[in-house]
Amino acid sequence: MRAERTGKPARILAVWCPGWPEEDADGAEARAFGHVVTVVEDFCPEVEVLRPGMCVLGARGPARYFGGEDALARKIAEAVAAHGFDCHTGVADGQFAACLAARAGRLGRPVSPGDPGAPGAPGVVVPPGGTRQFLASYPVHVLAAPGLAGQLARLGIRTLGDFAALPARDVAGRFGAEGTAFQRVARGQEPRRLAAGPPRADLSTALEFDPPVHAEPAAFAAKGLAEQMLAGLAACGLSCVRVRVRVTGADGRESARLWRHDGLLSALAVAQRVRWQLDGWPPARAGGDDGPADEAAGGITLLRLVPDQLVPEEGRQLGLWGDDLISGRVERAAVRLQAMLGHESVAHPLLAGGRGPAEQVVLVPFGDMRDPRFPADRPWPARIPPPAPATVYPVPLTARVIDATGSPVAVTGRAVVSAPPDALMAGDSPWLAITAWAGPWPVTERWWDEQNATRRARFQLVTEDGSAWLAAIELGRWQIEARYD
Amino acid sequence: MRKGISQVTGALDVFDEPSADAAPVGAIGLIGNAVSSEVAEALRIDGLSTGVLPVLPALAELLPAGGLARGSVVVVDRPGLLCLALVAAASAAGAWCGVAGIPDLGVAAAAGLGAEPARLMLVAHPGPGWPQVVTSMLEACEVVVVRPPARPPAQIRRRLEGVLRRGGGVLVAAGEWEGAPVRLRVARRSWAGIGDGYGSLRACRAEVVAEGRGAVTRPRRRWMWLPAPDGTVIPDETGDAGRIDFPAGPAAAGAPTAAEASLRAAR
Repeated sequence: MRAERTGKPARILAVWCPGWPEEDADGAEARAFGHVVTVVEDFCPEVEVLRPGMCVLGARGPARYFGGEDALARKIAEAVAAHGFDCHTGVADGQFAACLAARAGRLGRPVSPGDPGAPGAPGVVVPPGGTRQFLASYPVHVLAAPGLAGQLARLGIRTLGDFAALPARDVAGRFGAEGTAFQRVARGQEPRRLAAGPPRADLSTALEFDPPVHAEPAAFAAKGLAEQMLAGLAACGLSCVRVRVRVTGADGRESARLWRHDGLLSALAVAQRVRWQLDGWPPARAGGDDGPADEAAGGITLLRLVPDQLVPEEGRQLGLWGDDLISGRVERAAVRLQAMLGHESVAHPLLAGGRGPAEQVVLVPFGDMRDPRFPADRPWPARIPPPAPATVYPVPLTARVIDATGSPVAVTGRAVVSAPPDALMAGDSPWLAITAWAGPWPVTERWWDEQNATRRARFQLVTEDGSAWLAAIELGRWQIEARYD
Repeated sequence: MRKGISQVTGALDVFDEPSADAAPVGAIGLIGNAVSSEVAEALRIDGLSTGVLPVLPALAELLPAGGLARGSVVVVDRPGLLCLALVAAASAAGAWCGVAGIPDLGVAAAAGLGAEPARLMLVAHPGPGWPQVVTSMLEACEVVVVRPPARPPAQIRRRLEGVLRRGGGVLVAAGEWEGAPVRLRVARRSWAGIGDGYGSLRACRAEVVAEGRGAVTRPRRRWMWLPAPDGTVIPDETGDAGRIDFPAGPAAAGAPTAAEASLRAAR
């Protein structure tokens, strides 16, 4: 309650990009809003994102630096607009009023009875102390409290001005703590303090080698580097799930691997993983006639450790014997293979939910967290009935299916087959006569998602050689998704 | 720390030796608590300490040892259902199973046959260093399935066979592997449950043939349900008669009857 303690309400500047989607499945929109936040952060490092499309910052300090609140609001709006985003800003006492002021800038709503208001203005600045007046004409429904607003409306209190004018004691008696908080909002005070975190510190550590060194000294230096990184994480009360080790060579080659960490690895153990990774570092190419040039070519110039997937440190109990990761022979072998082939190349499969055979298995890199996006134990209507196919092509084979007259088999939008399928050509194999078939089983999935939408009809086909196939037709094209035998 | 690891590895080498069945008890006493969790893990695996890893009963009589003999190579013609069925029982009994070079492995089918997906280690693309990958896998896994590139050179074959003999693992090669004692293949098969535009695949009656050297010079042939309607593999005693009515069971669950109906209406 900074506002009450200092006697003056906090001046807040809100930045609003209209038309930003509220929610989306994979956070892509939220990440895109990060571009806007980055622009705003140039003016003030402490920016709080309320939701994609709306962020706020304390205006007092930056306004003093940039020559007043009007100038700050205009500059931020221009800077964001220069990056191609439609943007409106508003300054007022408190976050709630600032957000309304940003919207008012777009709607051309008058700030005060005397002010005509300009439609499409980049920013609206409510003068200090004028916030209560600015809010007075808004209906109570703008408070994000449907229950309270409904009760107030039934009592004949229709605007924030009416609500703010009620005696605070009576509001507390009738509506409790929630009512008091909202009345403070209606009066242009803050119900809670702006909770901006400091900008995320760069917790990675790096070491440059000049002149370039070979694998062994680099692995030796990695221990000190890992100690630095772990100390930096511990100072922030954080731990990481994985560590990315990035090695750059003198000739520009780069090797980056992710290693499971889980907050369990000591500096020595991290250094050991760097050593494993450097085991796969290609030696100097036998290019020229003699040594010196090749020495530099095989050398390492930069070693960087980047903590990945930061999580709060929860104080995990280490094993009693030694401080290394508690591991069996399988994990050791997996780590060795990952050093040889890369973190993602060694998979630990997990059954997941889905309609097609390819969706029913998730290949998790060894050591990563094992929670499928779609759990297997949910009902999946229109799933292909068991048994599961023994071969599931990661990339479906292109195929051709013809009927007895030799013309391609098609499926109508109402899932009617043009003619019984007679022969199949899967991939580059020869034509095979179809002896039995079942289908079509139409599937329409994720129609709301342009990228991942599928609309296909699946068939099971048995060919003359005894093979059984799972085929699908989508947009008139046949493909083989899986093979059963 | 490195010394500790080498001790552990050494202890496991002893443990994995097929002839040293009595050794683990002594080994626990010698190396103390440092490896107790590993030894406990190893002891938890039932039925894997003997010289033969279990296979599904229907396949047992095709293999000369009645199972997957430790230290041996078993060849399957291609990486299909038979290949998965071969390792399913060992995986169910607690063995880890490594798979190299089969990016299109149907994990759900393996699970349906009884294998445990949580004990699978998959390397889809081992690349030219595949013998090294298989060797690393054999240090951790009792069974390793590999699709070798066309005609692996004799030198690489001999080296891997040496690793198998020392470590006591089993290599299932899906493809060519000269000189292997047993080769399995599906000679004939017929699918049941599917008709001309109706039903769905439910079971497959397959004739599996085992050929090879030594004890299996004469090919052995067995008819079996691969898979049976309940997803298992069971021997089929009806023999060569070519009969295709399959064991009684409930009607295929989830068969899209609406689509069938619309299809019949269209005819």
